[in-house]
This record gives sequence, C-alpha cells and structure tokens, in this order.
Amino acid sequence: MLKGLRIDVLIEEVRKSFLILLAYPIEIAFWIISPLLWVIPLVFQGRALIGGLTSSSFGKLAGTTEFIPYVLIGAIVSTYMFSAVWSMGNAFRDETYYGTLEHILSSPTPAVYILVGKGIYNSILSTLFVVVQLLICVFIFGLDITLAKILPIMAFLLLLIVGLYGIGFAAAALTMLIKESYGLLHLFEYILFLFSPIRYPVEVNPITRAISIFIPLTYALIALRGLLLGLKFDFWKNSIILLIIDAVIIPLGLFIFYKIEKRTKKTGTLAHY
Amino acid sequence: MPADIVVDALYKFFKKGRPGEVRAVDGVSFQIEKGELFGLLGPNGAGKTTLIKCISTLLIPDAGSIRVAGFDVNKDPLKVRQQIGVLTGGERSLYWKLTPIENLRYFAALYGVPRNQVKERIDYLLSLMELKDKAHTRVEKLSSGMKQKLSIARVLVHNPPILLVDEPTIGLDPYFAQFVRNFIKHELNQRLGKTILLTTHYMDEADALCDRVAFMNQGRIDALDTPTRLKRSIIKKEILEIKCLGELQKEEFPALENLLSLNITRLDGFTYIRMGTDNPERLLSRVIDFIQHRVKVYSVQVTSPSLEDVFVYLTGASLRQGGDDA
Repeated sequence: MLKGLRIDVLIEEVRKSFLILLAYPIEIAFWIISPLLWVIPLVFQGRALIGGLTSSSFGKLAGTTEFIPYVLIGAIVSTYMFSAVWSMGNAFRDETYYGTLEHILSSPTPAVYILVGKGIYNSILSTLFVVVQLLICVFIFGLDITLAKILPIMAFLLLLIVGLYGIGFAAAALTMLIKESYGLLHLFEYILFLFSPIRYPVEVNPITRAISIFIPLTYALIALRGLLLGLKFDFWKNSIILLIIDAVIIPLGLFIFYKIEKRTKKTGTLAHY
Repeated sequence: MPADIVVDALYKFFKKGRPGEVRAVDGVSFQIEKGELFGLLGPNGAGKTTLIKCISTLLIPDAGSIRVAGFDVNKDPLKVRQQIGVLTGGERSLYWKLTPIENLRYFAALYGVPRNQVKERIDYLLSLMELKDKAHTRVEKLSSGMKQKLSIARVLVHNPPILLVDEPTIGLDPYFAQFVRNFIKHELNQRLGKTILLTTHYMDEADALCDRVAFMNQGRIDALDTPTRLKRSIIKKEILEIKCLGELQKEEFPALENLLSLNITRLDGFTYIRMGTDNPERLLSRVIDFIQHRVKVYSVQVTSPSLEDVFVYLTGASLRQGGDDA
C-alpha cells in the first residue's frame, strides 16, 4: 500500500515543516516553555486531591501509590497521540491555507506519503517535547530512567506511533471531507481521555475498563508505566496486542483515506475550505 | 505524431442529480498535438478550470476519457502527473515562509527529480527566471511578478513535456504579464518544445500566443480553430465600436437590423459598445437614434473583428460575464 515510498520525499517534508516552524520564533518559545507550565497544574491537582504525591486508595486501583508520576506518564504518552492526530488531521487543511494543496496533490507523489512525512515531523517535535517532560519527571519527581529501560520504552513508543499514523490517515481524510474538523478532533481527544488510562485508572468504572481494551493507548500506557514505575505487566502480551492493533489500524486508515480522497475528487471539494 | 492530450466526450457535473446541478464540462472533445500551444478561451464559469483539473487528475470525470502522453488519467494518474506541470495565476502556489531554493528543493523531491540532479536543476531554473539574487530571500518578500516567475520555475523543476497553464497573467502588472506571455511562447513552447494548454479569458493573450484556440462556453466547446481562421470566419463582418459616457445594459438594446453581435464593456469610466455588423453606416444611424438620449457619445470607429468579437459572435456570450470559473 505504500509501494515506492521515497525517503527524499519524507526528508523534504520534514525539512519544509521545520523551516516553516522556524519562521515563527515566538511559536518556538511557546514550545520550549509549555512543558514546564504543563507539569505545575498536575502537581497542584495531586496536592489538592490527595494532600501530597502519593495515595493508598489510588494505589488499590492503579497498582501504584505514586499519583503524580502516574498522571505525568499518561500526559507524556498522550502528547504523541494528540499531536499526531491533530497534525495529520489538519495537514491538508494547512496546505489549503498556503494555497499549495492542489500543487502537491497533482505531483507524482501519492498524498499519503506527504502525510507520513508530516507525521514524522510531528513525532520528532513531540519527542523533543517529551524529552523535556521526562527530564522534569526525573529531576523533580525522581522518576527512575536507566539506560536499560530506554530501549523497551522506545520500542513501545514506536509501536504506538505507527498505530497513530493509521488514525492520522483517517483523521486527514475526514478533514478533507468535512473541512472544519476541530470539533471532531476534540471529541476524539475527549473520548480517549475518558476511555483510556491517561489521567486515571480505567478500573474505576466497568464501562471505561471494557472499552479501554480496544484503544492502543491503553497498552502503551500499561507498558510504559510498568517500565518506568516498576509495576507488574506482561511485556510480550502488550507488545503483541499493540502489533496486532497496528496491523489492523494502518490498512484501515489507508482504506478510509483512499476512499475519501476519491470521493472528494468526484465531488470537486478537494481544495475547498 | 501522436497527440499529447486527447479529451474524448468528457462530462463533469457538480451536484449531480440534485437541485442546482451544474454541467461544468458538457461533452467536450479535442486533441492537442505534441509541441502545440493550445488556448482554451471562455468567460468565468465556462468550465475551463474544471477541465484543467480533470486533466491534472485533481477531479474525476463523470464520463468520457482523457489521455495525457498516452496515459489514461483514471487508470494511470501517477504517470500522468509525471508528464505534466500545472501553472496557475495568482500568488498562492508557493510556501511564502520558504526561500525560492527551499521551495524548489521541496517540489523537486515531490516530482521525483534524482537527488544528485536537484542542485544543478535549481541553479538552471533560477538563472532562467532571473531569480539568482533572490535565491535566499523568503518568497513573502518577493514582488507579485517574481512570485509568478518562481511559480514557473516550480512547474519546470521536473522538466515535464506538457504544461497546463491556467490564467497565468492574472493579477500581474503589464510588464510582468508581458514577460510571462513572451516566456510561455518563446522559451517554453518554441525553444523547449513544451506542449501547452493555456486557459485565459484575455483574448489578446490567446490571439498572440496560441496555435489553435477553442471557445468554451457553458461547459461546451462552441468553436475550435486557429485564431486567423476564426477571425476570417466573420471576415465579411465589421466591428462598429462606440465609446461613450454613461451606463448602458446589453438587455436594454433592441433587435436592430444589421446588428449581428453585441458586446458592452466598461473600462476606465467609459462604456464601449462593440457591434458586429455587415453594414456599419446603416447600423450606426439606428444605434445613435437609440442611445442618444441615454449616453453621451465620445467617439465612433469601425474596425476589423478581434478574437473577442469572434467569440461574442459565435457564442452569444460575453467574456466578462459570470462569476468564478467552474
């Protein structure tokens, strides 16, 4: 389905996106400051709710009494999730604003390769963001990240990111169809917050627990929390489930993308705002 | 020699089968030979841009076929795209936050230019378009004319044999508009041998540039020939042009004897009434009777028909009517 994918297209897409970002220095300043600001409300929230950084009642559900690190890891992983969906979802909309959409879509490079390039750019940006977040976790909250843990962490993040590209293809397609997709993407975001263990253990409610098993983020979070907080988890089971989800979600995302791309070419709404 | 573009019985509707259905392209057929500069002329809304989008694979036709350099646009869209470059008028076809070099490098990758040839190709194009000294200036700081020059360089980055050029001089000042016209004719068509499909609603532009032109109106092609032959087709007619002050609508005009076609345009505060006629003297007295209490006549002249007069005569439409192009 991605036959003939050329690396130079991906490199140039990433380069172009970074050059455009660099043209807005204040935006870069926001990116640098925001991880620092992001962490403070979580600390205050923890203090207000449980009177400190640990809670035994929280531990009964989550398997760890460390509330703040638990939530921070959820926030870190969800950074990848939401930035991939938002950036790929709005990728062609941005090109419509630039006036370049029809020119890139009339090139011999299939549109989906351009989306992959935009996804990679976003993953790099998210990784820079996450590294700062992790440094905060290590130096302020004493999170233990040894070199031995880094490789499995990266493997799980990679499995998660690959699956996210599938969701990104579908999000880009839906944006082509409905044009203004902020409402849809926000709804998607809130659904994930509700049904995956980003901010709280989904075991708190039988419905959230049941639905969470269909969301890839759940398995990535279980694995990463297991690795970072030393919790018990089944490494291979979570890896295989994520692999299976990736194997389903990528072709499904591509299928949706190709179907909707064809439809917009029939209706003539491809470059509409 | 095989034709580079073959359009056969092409139909493209919008809102098909629903209220407000638009027949943007309504049974169009034509061929463009290799190395030909072919003009597609018509008012806004005639269907020219829709046709270009079908040829460039951005729209899927409802019926009919298009072959570009031997490839079917529906079956081999990627191969078609390797053969074409699409140039549009207006400024927004580049990344304004990037420099010319950065823009060209990006599009070179998209269009499959081998990496070891990219630098050489970009150097050549920047020299060709006289943009070398602006190579590292952000596009947003270039003038409209320079942006259009860079757009031409972008289109040529993969050296396509076929160019689709849609209203290339829109929004340009007269100097750059003339530069673009000369470049299309002498450099792209005559020196580099590109096959060019040019859409425009500037008849003088088409008359000066094109080997053949097709008149498109309401989704159909009403006439197709060389500009000379089209003008000769109404050679026995003359054009009576009255320049006047005051407003006059085409709908107010009565059906007058010897009046074969009528086009009313406004320019620089004047109203121009251009009438095709086989007897200008007789028509003039009748027209004066009609308009003398409505407008103030500034000048009267009898001229040979222009391509625009032929268009008005053959299609009954004005080139300056309508809204956005379909």
